[in-house]
Amino acid sequence: MEYNTEKPLIMHVDLNSAFATIEQQSRPLLRGKPVAVVNRRVKNTSIITASYEAKALGVKVGMKFIEAVRLAPGLIAVESDPAKYRYVYRKLMSILNSYSPNVVMKSIDEGIIDFHNIPNLRPLVDIGHEIKKRLRDEVGCAMRCNVGIGPNRFLAKTAAGLHKPDGLDIIDATNLRAVYETMRLTDLTGIASHLERRLNAVNIFTPIQFLDTDVVSLQKVVFKSIVGRQWYERLRGYEVDDRTSDTKTIGRQYVLENRNLTRFEIAARLHHLCESVGYRLRSQDKVARGVYIHVRTIDRQYWHACKMCQMPFYSDKTINLIAQQLFLNAPDRIQEIGIRCYEISDDNNPQMSLFSDSIECDQQLISAIDFINQRFGDRTVHSADTLNLSEFMKQKISFGSTRYL
Amino acid sequence: MNDEIFLNEQITVIAVFGKGLNPCRPMKFRRTNGREINITEIGLRHPSAQGKRMIHIFDVTDGSADYRIELDAERLTWRLTREADHGI
Repeated sequence: MEYNTEKPLIMHVDLNSAFATIEQQSRPLLRGKPVAVVNRRVKNTSIITASYEAKALGVKVGMKFIEAVRLAPGLIAVESDPAKYRYVYRKLMSILNSYSPNVVMKSIDEGIIDFHNIPNLRPLVDIGHEIKKRLRDEVGCAMRCNVGIGPNRFLAKTAAGLHKPDGLDIIDATNLRAVYETMRLTDLTGIASHLERRLNAVNIFTPIQFLDTDVVSLQKVVFKSIVGRQWYERLRGYEVDDRTSDTKTIGRQYVLENRNLTRFEIAARLHHLCESVGYRLRSQDKVARGVYIHVRTIDRQYWHACKMCQMPFYSDKTINLIAQQLFLNAPDRIQEIGIRCYEISDDNNPQMSLFSDSIECDQQLISAIDFINQRFGDRTVHSADTLNLSEFMKQKISFGSTRYL
Repeated sequence: MNDEIFLNEQITVIAVFGKGLNPCRPMKFRRTNGREINITEIGLRHPSAQGKRMIHIFDVTDGSADYRIELDAERLTWRLTREADHGI
């Protein structure tokens, strides 16, 4: 198969070190300084985003703040501020939506514009520069983004990563090979260390060798599935990633703020997570049939338990009841707890049950509580045992999903 | 670590309401101790809904410290909620 010679019409826009840049935008005195965004104001917290100044000193995402300070003395830790990031996300989305109806936000800091079937299309390079300018005008002068243009999503994202920060690059059939020559396998989006080992095992050590491997070998030997063919096409610029996935699980996890909490106190935190997950479930008009809880201990042991029910549910009370039953068997010395609802489906008037009266009462109560919380703010009404927990258990933003933004 | 101080102080603000992308621009505010702060730059303005109540949050600086001031759009009151000087 030849490389895709179609005109590149996919644009990938990626905010540079998004959370740190937004903090530097909102607090001008942080500009030009090494900044790390963390989820908690404690020394053993992990870094979720580092500014370019911090990255230049060796600070990496995921590093403990206490270790990072050794590398970058003067590193300023800033607690993440989800409301601010949501605002910039919406601004970015509104800018991207003004160019095409086909926009997909892949995460809180990156979006894809598909310019297929857009009449009177201007050169995409001009549009890319305009997006950069509009971001500076409409959000703030410190905002920068990478723009990548390619014939498919994979190459557009790869192009966006070529010249950070504030780059604008195009990858098409003419320079595709030259770009791969400058990269390592793990520079390719989707190739992490375990896939690299798998490729290395069949003597593929560079993106060029990966590109030159025939489709049969990739499908039958390397990946042993259709994934091999998808990689073959993806690397050549053909679109294979234009698909949306359904919600399979809805969950939340929490690293305990203190290692000396009693079982009762941890159960209250689990209850708080159940309320949060229940609200997310209902906000998506979904019901679940299963609850899965996990615990990670201080000794890095992982414990989990799950339960499936016959009837679907969506109330905080039911989720908490199942979760607390499962939690009774959890080990001690807990560091992290998490809960997920699974077997998710649409809430489309489930079959009447023999106990429909009590279900009807529950539904009305839940609707009333959700209404009050929407009117007066999150957690205006909540269970008594989770009182004051919001101080520790603040909602944070995950990078992967834009579902709850 | 972060050197932000969290406050909840009612302040008096002089703001200009104009047009364009940022129609409300606070220019100067006076704290309860009488100190006046001249705003040299608005870093970011973002809305934050507390239920149906809208709070407009302005992250601003006077060149020597960063401040967060909040306009309650329902009550039309301003509060100073954060201050950070980053050791300058």
